[in-house]
Amino acid sequence: MTRPSTRALQILAAAVAVTFFLLPLAYLLSVSFKRKDDVLSGNFLPTDPTLANWPAAFESTSLTTFIFNSVVISVFAGLVTIAITLPASYAMIRLGIGKKALPQVTLASYVAPPIVGLIPFFFLLKTVGLLNTYPGLILIYGFLNIPVAFWLLTPFLRRVPAEIEEAAALDGAGRLRTLVSVVAPMIAPGIAATTIIVVILTFNEFLLASGLTLSDGMRTLTVGISLFQGDRLVNFGQMAAASLAGILPIYVIALLMQKHLVQGLAHGGVK
Amino acid sequence: MRPSVSSRAETRVPSELRRFYKALWVAPLVFALIVTTLYPTIFLIALATTKSTLGKPFRSFVGLKNITGSLTDAAFQLTVVKGVAFAFASAIVEIVVGFALACLFVALMKAGRYLLIVVLLPLMTPPVMVGVAWKLILAPSGGLLNGVLMNMGITDAPISFLATPVPAWLSIGIADLWQWVPFVTILCFAALVSLPEGVHEASLIDGAGPWQRLRHITLPLVAAPLASIFLLKLIIGFKLFDLVYVLTFGGPGLTTTTATFSIWRLALEQFDVGKAAAQTLIYAIVIGIVTIPVVRLHRWASEHYS
Repeated sequence: MTRPSTRALQILAAAVAVTFFLLPLAYLLSVSFKRKDDVLSGNFLPTDPTLANWPAAFESTSLTTFIFNSVVISVFAGLVTIAITLPASYAMIRLGIGKKALPQVTLASYVAPPIVGLIPFFFLLKTVGLLNTYPGLILIYGFLNIPVAFWLLTPFLRRVPAEIEEAAALDGAGRLRTLVSVVAPMIAPGIAATTIIVVILTFNEFLLASGLTLSDGMRTLTVGISLFQGDRLVNFGQMAAASLAGILPIYVIALLMQKHLVQGLAHGGVK
Repeated sequence: MRPSVSSRAETRVPSELRRFYKALWVAPLVFALIVTTLYPTIFLIALATTKSTLGKPFRSFVGLKNITGSLTDAAFQLTVVKGVAFAFASAIVEIVVGFALACLFVALMKAGRYLLIVVLLPLMTPPVMVGVAWKLILAPSGGLLNGVLMNMGITDAPISFLATPVPAWLSIGIADLWQWVPFVTILCFAALVSLPEGVHEASLIDGAGPWQRLRHITLPLVAAPLASIFLLKLIIGFKLFDLVYVLTFGGPGLTTTTATFSIWRLALEQFDVGKAAAQTLIYAIVIGIVTIPVVRLHRWASEHYS
């Protein structure tokens, strides 16, 4: 049906798009193998490739600590978000609690830019003694991503037929047990996609982390990488290696879970 | 038949207690929203009406001085205008590009689904690293773009894209587009493939050209999701911070300093928390006001087109 000339144009456009989206990452990878003087050449490929930047990035900074901090904080914050959001959105749909208010309130709280939280969270964590600690950051991020999780989870929950739960109730299962052992397994892909998305959102966050982490031992990856920026003698090769080392885990997860991620985003974003 | 445990429990428990149990389902969420939304609002109001520093908040009550001072501060007004203008400009450009890309992916069928995986990568990249990657391309010394331009003989000396006003904004825009067009594309793709299958064939039989099909058939059908995607991207655009921090640090001069960035510097570099709080409140209110028409548009589109 499609004319050959149209087909050729489509393929050309797709090639341009793929190049555009992969070029920065490809160049980042290339720079991570460049020697210090080679970086200034502005060539795409390294003239004399070296592996030295990769170990150097780990040795000259606390990169391992940064990555560890980011992983711990984002994974636990993700669990907090799901543990709070799943029962709430389930109760909204099945028990009708806050049917009108919850969607509006969560949307409104998502509109507020993160800068709104920076100063209040700083003083809140300071007051309760959780500033610059894992629990403090886990709770803040766990709470902050609830609106996103609420949007992503609700469409999945809506599609669960009520009859199945009625059957579970007849078997003597309470609401909470029905949710955990009947409903949750049915929407496992939706829960998985939502969890990954909120974990990545925390992993990628920078603004709040820059104000709520105060010591090298607590800094997250994005803050650590941003510190490279202030350095006048910044070594581009090491910076590229450090950035890639930090985002590779995310890419592996994204590629393994791509189908669920696309579905999760698609269901939540467009209803 | 044995009565179920839950219905037996429900008949025995008095109704008030039952309502209390029901409320427990959403209590943690409500508590979290209080911490993330209500508390910051009240705390910011308290800070904004006092002389406060990061070390010593609430030193003395100053009334509306911080707020009126910020409202009449031309430099601050400009940062707000820039923040809002960037959000709208980037959302408009990215929804057009993202929708076009989604149409392309749909037309390519199976290959299009593989392309969706490619675009997931920029979307998942931390914005700080997006900034790092684009900085390597745009840097005056050792940047890929300057290298290419000079090797091809187009320019003699490297250009400081990030230190020249218009190119600096364009650079931030392109990096933002690189990260967020994938988001728009994935959502538009989902909206397009969920259209009923007969629609496309019917219009082909009617002999409608591709533009007519887009204008009269596809666009009205996806108007509601498009409006919600636009709203989402607009909200994300107001949050711009990381790219500014990494790519330009607000420069050259104050050219790319948006409200979020200037407030961040005011609070964490000059420690003037009282003034920063006042400016945060003003920025949040401005965002709320300028978002209302888009929310209305979204509501209108969902009622009118579905």
